[in-house]
Amino acid sequence: MSELKPTNHKADLLLEALAEGHVAEVLAMESVAGCATTFDPGWEVDPFGGVASLCQPMEADLYGCSDPCWWPAQVPDTMSTYPNWDAGKPSAAGDWRDLDSVFPKN
Amino acid sequence: MSPARIGGLWAACAALVVFSFATSRAVAGDLILTGAKPDRLFVIDAATRSVRSEYHIPGANGLVSVILISPDQKLAYVLVDRLERVVGIELATGREVFRADLSTPDERIKSFMSMALTPDGKELIVYELPTRLLSSEYVVEEPRFAVFRTDAGMLAKPIRSFPAPRRVHMLLMRPSGQSFYAVGFDLYEYDLKTGKLLSTRGIQKWALADHSQPDLLAFWPVTEPTGVWTSPVYSELKKGAETVPMTALMSLDVKSGALTFADFEPLSALIFSTVLSPDRKHAYGVYTTLSSIDVEGHRLEKRVPLDHTFYAINESTDGRELYLGGTECDVGFYDAKTLDKKAMLKLPECPDQSVATLRVIHGK
Repeated sequence: MSELKPTNHKADLLLEALAEGHVAEVLAMESVAGCATTFDPGWEVDPFGGVASLCQPMEADLYGCSDPCWWPAQVPDTMSTYPNWDAGKPSAAGDWRDLDSVFPKN
Repeated sequence: MSPARIGGLWAACAALVVFSFATSRAVAGDLILTGAKPDRLFVIDAATRSVRSEYHIPGANGLVSVILISPDQKLAYVLVDRLERVVGIELATGREVFRADLSTPDERIKSFMSMALTPDGKELIVYELPTRLLSSEYVVEEPRFAVFRTDAGMLAKPIRSFPAPRRVHMLLMRPSGQSFYAVGFDLYEYDLKTGKLLSTRGIQKWALADHSQPDLLAFWPVTEPTGVWTSPVYSELKKGAETVPMTALMSLDVKSGALTFADFEPLSALIFSTVLSPDRKHAYGVYTTLSSIDVEGHRLEKRVPLDHTFYAINESTDGRELYLGGTECDVGFYDAKTLDKKAMLKLPECPDQSVATLRVIHGK
């Protein structure tokens, strides 16, 4: 933090709170806002640098990722924020056309 | 609400039939349990490769995940509702006999796939991750183990709770009923009555010489048919100036407490979950391939490609068949010796099983 300079009032307050010891320890979120139960990178590559060892087909893994919030960057967080994303769509392979994008709520 | 068996008019007269099946099942053979979206619990007759009964779980809210079987094999305890509710379902009738809603209006509680039953079936231990929902912020609270009485009915509340470590993803009860294991970054053992931490053994902090910190993905609490839980573990083995990615088999005997890690191959395919054969000589792992592992020889015996990825695996009582589940809507039956596909059962209406546990009620 010593190398960062606050650029607005809120950041100033954060530095003050830090100095006064009022900032709580940062904890792995697990189930807080969204979920992020893991910090794995996602579907981009497998351990061998390719894609052959990823789930086949991708739809086999889709709900396995959104249900426990494995990779919330790529699939909606159905654990807390978008619990109805898959409502009425029990088969990812059959219903993928109806699985829409989601957008931040106001 | 109470669970509703699907099947229209058939449902009205099916209860007696199912009950008679359930009571004579021990002679007939294995029953397989799996869950699927959005609220479905299936009981499958392994011998006939058919769905014996099917239930809708009220309030499952799109997710049926961890399934535990009561010691008398009459109930399934299922984690549903986006990891916020545990229900007890009577397998003969589909009747919901237990419900624990973990969250309250002020506190959102998720159980990340972690719960266990005592050997007498009287208590259920649930790992809870609570978050206090305030008007302007969320406050992450300390995780805890909450203990419920299973005869508490539909409004079950914890009778006691005690502190738990973070990052736990599976619980395993010990047969003595005095303590249980929590699998997380390390392997913890807790006294069930007092909540005292009895021991911590390394997983991330394992002591395997020349190995890097391991990676473990494990939320399938399958100990049948041996009483031993196994899982693949990945790490890097230092060989001179180079490192070689290795796959090891982690094995935990929940009765004796024996814990072993043994490399069996240089990493060549991913495995999500494993099951140990009744004679404990072979382990079988599943993901996009099906693997057979020589446990005593610490080597890969055979590997075959699968039609698609499966997360979950289990095994028949006689050790001759492997059952594959999770991910999509089919349950696979494979020969344990040859790894040949014997049958595939497509679940009605083809709902995804996703991360549901694949359990087996073993015939005798």
